[in-house]
Amino acid sequence: MAVNRDSNAYTVLFAAGLVIVVGSILAYLAFSLAPAIAENMRLEKQQNILYAMGVNENVDEGSVNFVPTDKVADDFKKYIVDQLVIEGDKITSNKEAYLIDLKKEMTAAKNGAVQKLPLFIGEKKGKKFYIIPMYGVGLWDAIWGFVSLDDTLTVQGVFFDHKAETPGLGSNINQRYFMDDFTGETILKDGNFVGINVAKVNNDPKNNIKDDNEVDALAGATITGDGISAMIKKSLKLYRPYLESVKAKN
Amino acid sequence: MLEHIELFFKSIFIDNMVFAVFLGMCSYLAVSKKVATAVGLGAAVIFVLAVTVPLNWLLDKYLLQDGALAWLGPEYADYNLSFLSFILFIATIATMVQLVEIVVEKFSPSLYNSLGIFLPLIAVNCAILGGSLFMQAREIASFGLALNYGISSGIGWFLAILAIAAIREKIRYSNVPPPLRGLGITFIITGLMGIGFQSFGGMLTGGDEEPEEVGKTTVEKIPAKTKTIEEDQSTGREDKKTEEIDEKSVSYINVIKE
Amino acid sequence: MGILTKKDARLILDPLADDNPITIQVLGICSALAITAELMASIVMAISVLFVLGIGNVVISLMRNIIPSKIRIIVQLIVVATLVIIVDQVLKAFAYELSKTLSVFVGLIITNCIIMGRFEAFALANGPWRSFLDGIGNSLGYGVILIIVGFFRELLGSGTLFGHPVLGDAIEKTGLYATGYENNGFMILPPAALIVVGIIIWVQRSKNPALIEEN
Repeated sequence: MAVNRDSNAYTVLFAAGLVIVVGSILAYLAFSLAPAIAENMRLEKQQNILYAMGVNENVDEGSVNFVPTDKVADDFKKYIVDQLVIEGDKITSNKEAYLIDLKKEMTAAKNGAVQKLPLFIGEKKGKKFYIIPMYGVGLWDAIWGFVSLDDTLTVQGVFFDHKAETPGLGSNINQRYFMDDFTGETILKDGNFVGINVAKVNNDPKNNIKDDNEVDALAGATITGDGISAMIKKSLKLYRPYLESVKAKN
Repeated sequence: MLEHIELFFKSIFIDNMVFAVFLGMCSYLAVSKKVATAVGLGAAVIFVLAVTVPLNWLLDKYLLQDGALAWLGPEYADYNLSFLSFILFIATIATMVQLVEIVVEKFSPSLYNSLGIFLPLIAVNCAILGGSLFMQAREIASFGLALNYGISSGIGWFLAILAIAAIREKIRYSNVPPPLRGLGITFIITGLMGIGFQSFGGMLTGGDEEPEEVGKTTVEKIPAKTKTIEEDQSTGREDKKTEEIDEKSVSYINVIKE
Repeated sequence: MGILTKKDARLILDPLADDNPITIQVLGICSALAITAELMASIVMAISVLFVLGIGNVVISLMRNIIPSKIRIIVQLIVVATLVIIVDQVLKAFAYELSKTLSVFVGLIITNCIIMGRFEAFALANGPWRSFLDGIGNSLGYGVILIIVGFFRELLGSGTLFGHPVLGDAIEKTGLYATGYENNGFMILPPAALIVVGIIIWVQRSKNPALIEEN
């Protein structure tokens, strides 16, 4: 190489060239892949919502099996009978409510706007499910999930997922042995809303007691577990007026 | 003010970069043989964190976040550039490190000589990138808090490397089994210190505060609300707020009945 | 280039033992602590690093004659970050399930100092083929330690391997647990990884006294 690689001119030129090359590769990639990625995420959201209300292909105890992606759109239409958007004291029905970005809404709410709260009503074998989306923060990054409640505000199923929790510890919140524990728990205590606590000190590791508002925590994942407890509490709080009217009706 | 103090101590002790989340381990282990060099590297880390975290906060707020480009005009509000976070954060950090190197070399050659070799090392210290990514993930609210977070997590890292360097200087006089000398015993000591630091987890965040608050509000509000639902919605309320809630429950019930 | 010369073979074999990236070079520690609570995660991480380091080393080695020395750190970091982001985005579009499993590792790979360390120490000064071998060797050496640590932490901490219980049922008290054995919950906490690595170093240096440090 005859060029003086230490000269300022070369350095600047090289930096500019690198920025252009890398920038255009990434921009092209983002632009061309965005529709496919968005479609994947849309289907995943439908799968997650259905999973929370117990529509899934779980066979044994071990693994999480969603409705396959080619069937999920039909199943979603079949089982989710209504999608609501709660906006202050207005409730509207909206077929695209499940696409609402919770994080964006929370930021908007912080800036004084009225938060749009999506809520999905599912029906399976004549039984009604109220499915609430949740969003929170774990140890490293975002965590989110869905919880489905019946008329008596008993949990019928949950789904949790995370962006980047520690593999092998916090990342296990999306495993069956953690999520299944929530089923049957109630979010009420003596008629008050308390949510569900992910408890470290728990005398009930097999989770036989269902009315203690507690599930057994994952060992080694304290902060992720606390994040889940806080997420459930925070999200259910937003929906409390609606849930109270559900409870009052029955 | 209180949130600043809380964040400050939380970042130093509870979320200590080395002992709680185990970031920046490589330089921590490699450059902790002497207290003097450890202090130099630690100070450099504090400085770089204090500069890059607020800088990346601005980048995140006005460029990367979903809808962050709204300040350019409403037609830009839909862009989401968050997939560029990694690369931009890294570019900021590497640029800052190299900039600091050039400036220090120019204006204070003596400081450069004592710090010089450590400065390039900082770019690969994952505690630095970790600081920026934590800042993004935890949605730190203001520029001031971001600055605070950068400085305090830097101090946490500084304390950690200072402590291990001091221990390593003293342990020279102990009879460590030869194969464990140096790196081996440092790993084990760090592990033990990590266990110790886990006990800070009970500080501040300490448990019952939040649920108590939730419980209180429910006790206050629920009887009033359920009453209105069960009885008649049109009963007079002296409080405007409850009136609003009444309206809410009316509309909810209608929707459910459908 | 099918047959490795003796010198080339050393590039692969040395990092497996006497020049191990974790226990000797002190590179890539953070990830070794973060992800070794389960054996499966350790293996996934080891394979991911194998890909990134192998390819990244070749790319940097090809660029070594045109990178300006003043900004080489930025260039190296940008190259590796770009590689990882491209793979991440492509997987998200075409293999979504796989990308979900790997997304956790993306940040850990970019910040992994083993990658920068090998770029700086080897790829900048050597040809693409030798850099490739160096990348493979070092990531294998890294992977071996990860897998050993992951094995012990999962076995002793959770009583499972790859998620399957191997010591009996901890709650129902069957198998080994019937004798009063308990899982050591401490093993799944990150500090335990430090101690396990410390013990690996101990064993390694007892076998090869040439590696022993003065202090």
